[in-house]
Amino acid sequence: MPTARSLRRPNPITFVLAGILLIGFFIFFFSGNDAASVSAGQGSGRTAASVLSPPSLPFRKSKSNEPQKPPPVVHYYMNNATQTRDPAGNQEKVLILTPLARFYQEYWDNLIKITYPHDLISLGYIIPKTKEGNAAYAALQSQVTKTQSGPKNKRFASVTILRQDTENPLQTQLESERHKMENQKARRAAMAKARNSLLFTTLGPTTSWVMWLDADIVEFPATIIQDLADYDAPIIAPNCFQRYYDEKKKAMDIRPYDYNNWIDSPTAKELAAKMGKDDILLEGYAEMPTYRSLMAMMYDQSADRATKVKLDGVGGAALLVKADVHRDGAMFPPFSFYHLIETEGFAKMAHRLNWDSYGLPNYLVYHYNE
Amino acid sequence: MHRHAYSNGQVAYPSVGGSGTFSIQPHKFQPRSQPGSLRRRRTLIQRILLVGGLFFTALFFFYPDLRPNLGSGPLSYLSSSDDAQLETVRYYDLSNVQGTARGWEREERILLCAPLRDASPHLDMFFGHLRNLTYPHNLIDLAFLVGDSKDNTLSKLHDKLEELQANPDPKQQFGEVSIMEKDFGQKVNQDVESRHGFAAQAGRRKSMAQARNWLLSAALRPTHSWVYWRDVDVETAPFTILEDLMRHNKDVIVPNVWRPLPDWLGGEQPYDLNSWQESETALALADTLDEDAVIVEGYAEYATWRPHLAYLRDPYGDPDMEMEIDGVGGVSILAKAKVFRQGAHFPAFSFEKHAETEGFGKMAKRMKFSVVGLPHYTIWHLYEPSVDDIRHMEEMEKERKAKEAEEAAKKERLDKIKDQFDSKSSDWEKEKAEVQNLVQKAKSEEKEKEAEAKEGAKKEEVKKEEAKKEEAKKEEAKKEEAKKPGEQPKQARNFQEPDEIHEVRGYDEKKKAEPKQPENPDAVL
Repeated sequence: MPTARSLRRPNPITFVLAGILLIGFFIFFFSGNDAASVSAGQGSGRTAASVLSPPSLPFRKSKSNEPQKPPPVVHYYMNNATQTRDPAGNQEKVLILTPLARFYQEYWDNLIKITYPHDLISLGYIIPKTKEGNAAYAALQSQVTKTQSGPKNKRFASVTILRQDTENPLQTQLESERHKMENQKARRAAMAKARNSLLFTTLGPTTSWVMWLDADIVEFPATIIQDLADYDAPIIAPNCFQRYYDEKKKAMDIRPYDYNNWIDSPTAKELAAKMGKDDILLEGYAEMPTYRSLMAMMYDQSADRATKVKLDGVGGAALLVKADVHRDGAMFPPFSFYHLIETEGFAKMAHRLNWDSYGLPNYLVYHYNE
Repeated sequence: MHRHAYSNGQVAYPSVGGSGTFSIQPHKFQPRSQPGSLRRRRTLIQRILLVGGLFFTALFFFYPDLRPNLGSGPLSYLSSSDDAQLETVRYYDLSNVQGTARGWEREERILLCAPLRDASPHLDMFFGHLRNLTYPHNLIDLAFLVGDSKDNTLSKLHDKLEELQANPDPKQQFGEVSIMEKDFGQKVNQDVESRHGFAAQAGRRKSMAQARNWLLSAALRPTHSWVYWRDVDVETAPFTILEDLMRHNKDVIVPNVWRPLPDWLGGEQPYDLNSWQESETALALADTLDEDAVIVEGYAEYATWRPHLAYLRDPYGDPDMEMEIDGVGGVSILAKAKVFRQGAHFPAFSFEKHAETEGFGKMAKRMKFSVVGLPHYTIWHLYEPSVDDIRHMEEMEKERKAKEAEEAAKKERLDKIKDQFDSKSSDWEKEKAEVQNLVQKAKSEEKEKEAEAKEGAKKEEVKKEEAKKEEAKKEEAKKEEAKKPGEQPKQARNFQEPDEIHEVRGYDEKKKAEPKQPENPDAVL
């Protein structure tokens, strides 16, 4: 009789047990999923065992109560760091590098919207030790902490933040001062050094792509990495524009911003031939007309977004580079290299190493408007 | 809503994670006489919840992005304590890693880079050097690039490194140890002959540069203050080399590199000719060459007349003496990490007509870094006999054997002759001796008389004669020396370096009458 009765009127304890079981099941079901992906990643070298490891990998903190183990001997199979048209499918790691002077929230908001798997993305920042830099550092740090303790699938594989003493004689980042021609060489040399310092300390043996993205690029497509990688170009730059309020039309409009993406001209070559060894050619200054074909001027709203042109000089606003290009030694010359400096010199140096640069005139990213 | 349906305070249905699972059905003591409509509504709501639960479970399963973030509650610690150990954010301050003269006191980390290919025979020696380094080992990170190796370099390297790190003394363990494997598909052989052939140089130097850059860019970290490049085939070097070079506090610094030679080649010889000072001739030459040409030092094809660090060595010179140089050799370079951070590298293209380490020197100079060589601080590279040397050695061996055989034959013949004519010759000897004695006595008597008279005059004559003889000798010697360079070019093509040294050494050391140099004073350290 008791059995029949319990069937008819179940004991409340049964329900309690069932509930606990159910909750346990849910927790196991969901967290088990995450754990699985983490442990799967370990095999492919996604985490490092020691703090002494490439900054492009997260590492396991050593427990304080454990005796210190000697750092392990680690093999990196650099033949496997491929660069293909389908980077996400091939689990290729991307390093996004940003020299940071000012922090714009829009930049970060766009960054975390990137659809490329975040566990394949490492971020690298270099920030000058100035008052402005300190503010940017604090802002960045709070955002990084927020994202890296947020949902696991939104977390980036690793974040490296470098500080450096600035040797830039210019104390102000004001646009008018920054763009004065006589200040340009010193400014861009310092910028080149900052870029190189950032690049060569964060580029790991497993990195496949390096994405240069300036901190003042406040709007870009979320699929930018996949889009640019799809061209399978060693160096590829989208067109950098700026949104502004047109007083005449009384409406928002866009205008070209980055003039460092160009195709060389005979005039520029002649100018260069007459110059001293340490002089540099600059783009976008009326005092020095070069008659180069600027990619910024090639934008055509109605044309195909996929159009690709070959470039001789590139800008650093947004730039996707195969890691092999940098590994071969292509860097941002902080000196006059064929009368070019920084990113433009980089394109030239890459060219000397037999890597070509391309641009996408109709694929836009937007610069902050001060 | 349904909560209000039961005003007795019971929660009607369970919610996930809630504590109200107690009353999924009506309370035990609920009167059974419940209206049918209410019961039906309850079952309906039950079903809706069930379906909803299943739907969300499926949704969250397939679209993990949509899962709510519950934060890191106590439960997440239970489920993934592993994850909390994972650190993803790193902060570094580059102004702490600029490199100073007394790096070991400030715990400055050094990255030791060694590119390897088919190097397994040298590894034992190299690890011996590593163990003996006096710089704190835990501050040294090791990075190797192994590429296109056909021998067991990789496995041997791995075993050796494991052995090194397994040392129970934590002070003997090194820091980060990484082995990069990358095949560039180089076609040039690594043996001495093809390595130093002139035609192969430019291409070889460029691919070596590529390998160096790959290694450096993958291994350089924000924690490094110094980078030390070291070839594995260095035979002898002071254990304190890192501190010795660091003490100078220069951006880029190299020691002098020589190599020991067998005695018949002169005992020792400058090895690394890539450390030099720029010359006007070389600059003029560079201007005449096309964009991709690479000037390589130590070949007759490009006469640059540059002062080489190697030739300026004085075994008794001050080892701390510095010399400004423009091109550097890659056997042993200590550079501040900031040099590489700021972009200087080993050009794998023609940079100001130079590639690899020489191009690196040029580039560092261009970036206004100090580049210095130590002419009297010497390390010794391994001597690997070239094909010509081996042939020469074989010939010498043959000659020696032939000579021995000849001498043996001669001796035999003489012995035979002696045996045959022994008795007679002894007779002769006796008689001869007696006759000679007589003659001598007579002569000596005569001489004593004459001697006094002639002495003064004779002395002068003898002096004159001697002077003449000496002059003749000197002339002969000059002629010989003049001949020498003419004879040698035949060999010069295949075996450049030693010959060049012969020429240079020729003048210097013949005059000095060679007080045999003490065996490598630095090497014994």
